[in-house]
Amino acid sequence: MPVIKKTDSNIRYGGGAIVVPGLESHANDPFVVKKNEEAKLAVSKLVLPVSKKT
Amino acid sequence: MNLPHYTYLTTDYQEYEFYSEGPKGSIKKLVTFAKIQEEPVIYNLAFGDADLITGQMNDSVTSNNEDRDIVLATVAHTVIDFCHHYGDHFIYAKGSTPVRTRLYQMGISGLLDEITLNFDIYGVIENAAYPFERNVNYEAFLVKRK
Repeated sequence: MPVIKKTDSNIRYGGGAIVVPGLESHANDPFVVKKNEEAKLAVSKLVLPVSKKT
Repeated sequence: MNLPHYTYLTTDYQEYEFYSEGPKGSIKKLVTFAKIQEEPVIYNLAFGDADLITGQMNDSVTSNNEDRDIVLATVAHTVIDFCHHYGDHFIYAKGSTPVRTRLYQMGISGLLDEITLNFDIYGVIENAAYPFERNVNYEAFLVKRK
């Protein structure tokens, strides 16, 4: 498991993600799978808003 | 969006991790996006702490690390990065309990002016999505990058 030392530099004001090859995937963690299944059921009944795209 | 946020890491722009820093120490946070509907495309955002023992995601513990706004801003940044790589689709998010959802809502309310610079944000009540308003209790949230 990667470790980041506790320093002020952990807080940033801009910029995107730092790409690190080989981070552990959590897509199949039981909590994630359960959340995705619950969400799938919820959105199947959801009335979506009209897009406000201009 | 110019809110302070934590450094966040990714391998594929679909899963992210970062460390919350506060009185409780350094707490590893995880964010994942998973496609849950094709037409229109909707992704589910799952967010939680990495379990200290298993390393797996859960959100059963309230960290109370006194950095809620920085954590929420970091999650918002992961949404921006995700949309940049996977498209501006709807993203659905809901806490694992009503209390957790309420915490998310309070955080969104506090950062609403900044968040709405980049996102349309909606609150879900009884299977319908409405433009997000402060002081309204929602069951879940739906966001889409502008």
